[in-house]
Amino acid sequence: MANEHGITSFLPRLGEYCKSTSGMTILFAIIVATAAAVHSGGYIILNTVVTGGMWALVGMGLALIFGVMNISSFVHGEFFMIGSLVAYYVYSPFVDIILDNPNTFFAAVMPLVAMFAALIMGGIAGVLTEHLAFRPMRRRSKKDWVMNSFVLTLGLSILLINCHQVFFGAEFRGIVKYWNYPSIAMMGTYVSFDRLMVFFIAMFMILAFWLLMSRTRIGRAIRAVSQSEPGAMMVGVDINGIQTLTLALSCGMAALAGAALLFMYPAYPTVGMGPLYNSWFIVIIAGMGNVTGAAVGGFMVALLQVLTTTYIGEGWDYTVPVVFLMILMIFKPSGLFGTAVRGVLDE
Amino acid sequence: MSKTHTREPIQGDTVEQIENDTSTSILEHVGMNKAGFMALIVLAILPLIPPFNQEYLVRWMIVGLFMAAQTVAFNFTNGYISIVNFGFAAFVGLGAYTSGILSTKLGISPWLTIFMGAIPPALVGFLTGILTLRLRGIYAAIMAWFVGLALMGLATKMIWLTEGPMGLNCPQLLDSTSNVPYFYVILVMFLVVYIVLNKIVQSHAGLAFIAIGQNMDAARTSGINPTFYRVLNFTVSCTFAGWLGGFYAHYYGILMPDLLHTTKTVEVLVIGYLGGRFTLWGGAVVAIPFVFVMELVRSSTSDMPGVNLIFYGLFLIVIMIYYPGGLAHFYENFKASTHASFLGRLFNRKAKQEEINT
Repeated sequence: MANEHGITSFLPRLGEYCKSTSGMTILFAIIVATAAAVHSGGYIILNTVVTGGMWALVGMGLALIFGVMNISSFVHGEFFMIGSLVAYYVYSPFVDIILDNPNTFFAAVMPLVAMFAALIMGGIAGVLTEHLAFRPMRRRSKKDWVMNSFVLTLGLSILLINCHQVFFGAEFRGIVKYWNYPSIAMMGTYVSFDRLMVFFIAMFMILAFWLLMSRTRIGRAIRAVSQSEPGAMMVGVDINGIQTLTLALSCGMAALAGAALLFMYPAYPTVGMGPLYNSWFIVIIAGMGNVTGAAVGGFMVALLQVLTTTYIGEGWDYTVPVVFLMILMIFKPSGLFGTAVRGVLDE
Repeated sequence: MSKTHTREPIQGDTVEQIENDTSTSILEHVGMNKAGFMALIVLAILPLIPPFNQEYLVRWMIVGLFMAAQTVAFNFTNGYISIVNFGFAAFVGLGAYTSGILSTKLGISPWLTIFMGAIPPALVGFLTGILTLRLRGIYAAIMAWFVGLALMGLATKMIWLTEGPMGLNCPQLLDSTSNVPYFYVILVMFLVVYIVLNKIVQSHAGLAFIAIGQNMDAARTSGINPTFYRVLNFTVSCTFAGWLGGFYAHYYGILMPDLLHTTKTVEVLVIGYLGGRFTLWGGAVVAIPFVFVMELVRSSTSDMPGVNLIFYGLFLIVIMIYYPGGLAHFYENFKASTHASFLGRLFNRKAKQEEINT
């Protein structure tokens, strides 16, 4: 009975959803991706899915910071940079051993250790940022908070980029691949094992994050703070703790993305610029502060980028998104998936 | 250079209080006090006095004045309607490229193209404004950043028009090889930007800007259309940015897409916040000393590129946490705290007069 009820109500609900803006956009994106894949080959879908998962992680972190702390972070890309740097220094001392003996347990696990180290270091960096920058500022004044915190994160970003430049130099620190396994034939192209793993790690993180947000007490507290800070305080949520945790979580996810994509984006001072740009693009098209929307938005942005490089050419990837955003701003300024966090006109 | 009585808008200021500050003297009409005017005179003869008449120092002063003028235009948006124009450098660069392209490809005199160069930034600023300024302030900041990067992408890719990363060679504004005439050109441009924007701030539109920047709901209740005034402000700021870009094109003589990059915006932004974003004079006062200090730091740490930018970041963080009002706020506090003391009597005529009155 329950099962039947589930099926009978699921299909009409799916139909209803497909008629909404978000549903129509997702359908449209899937159709475009399929058409492009038929026209130019399956690598379009594969590239979209692989990088999209990681952009979703970075974008979700940014949306979470915006929703919970009301900070428009400009420093988010620098946690991506920290992640790639940490992963490089954890992994590269063993790179020869690992590439020579790809079938040992050590070689299989070491990349995961590097990524985990990046996740932890990103989290620590987030906690430090909260304690050294955001909390002193929040304690002193909450006037003009949105713009002031934005400029504060800008200062942090400049500081971190140039500390990297001064202490580590401007060289590219990258690796060729994490796992020295043969590529796998799929949809007419070859996919390296790394890319496949990156996709699974992203999916695992998104799932874990969703479970954390929807099934645990901590997740409920985070959602409560993002809905109303005074309300959450009244029912006994430790606001400071939740804000620190949120920042640690978001920065950790960005750092994990940096570590996982080390073979595509080597560590250098301004490596965070691209991910930052992407994550802001994601957050605006998905709707500010909408975390679930950001997860879907990550894939859409990745699709748009792959299509741009395939059909328009390299170097246009800063111009095309603006056209998209202009159209979005005219018709649906609150984002494709809407935002339930704070009104569009509020400061 | 010039200090105005237009002080930091403090919550609780009534319209009368702000209007009462407008006294009748000509100097104050253009937004200066006596100290500011004296500083301006000193600055105007500085390139002729021996230690400062060396070419590289004059060059630094030109850069300083160029930054000062940009900061005034930037703080006009940033301080008065609380919107960070994060693509400011791109609007400067758009003006520079327009002026450079018109003068090289069509052979129009640079003196005319400088003014024509202000039109595209005004249009782009207006379009960005009407799309984003009806939303939360952060949308405008991020969109301006995106538009700026898009313009930089266009400048890099449209090689047939802009020569791309090879650099576009523009004709010089003047025939002279000396920097001194350029110094006076940028001084005049700075004064025009400063005085015009100051007049706008003192007008009724300026009151509306301050009202919007302070409390949007209260402003809307008193019949101000926030979107209209925000778009007006943003467009004016972008127009002046483009105009100043024209000077850049015909002073340096070469334009690269890097000119539109976010780091250039950051330089302006740091000076603006250091000087105090709620005033126009704050950034202008800070700009020249800041450029001198930064040039010295850069030349003494040339083996470690990036050290000077660490200072940018640190300055921003410390200012934002501990003193969001910047130098202008410090000056106001200083004036208030030394009101009755000896120093105050020495520097503050108002205090002296009050003493006489009592």
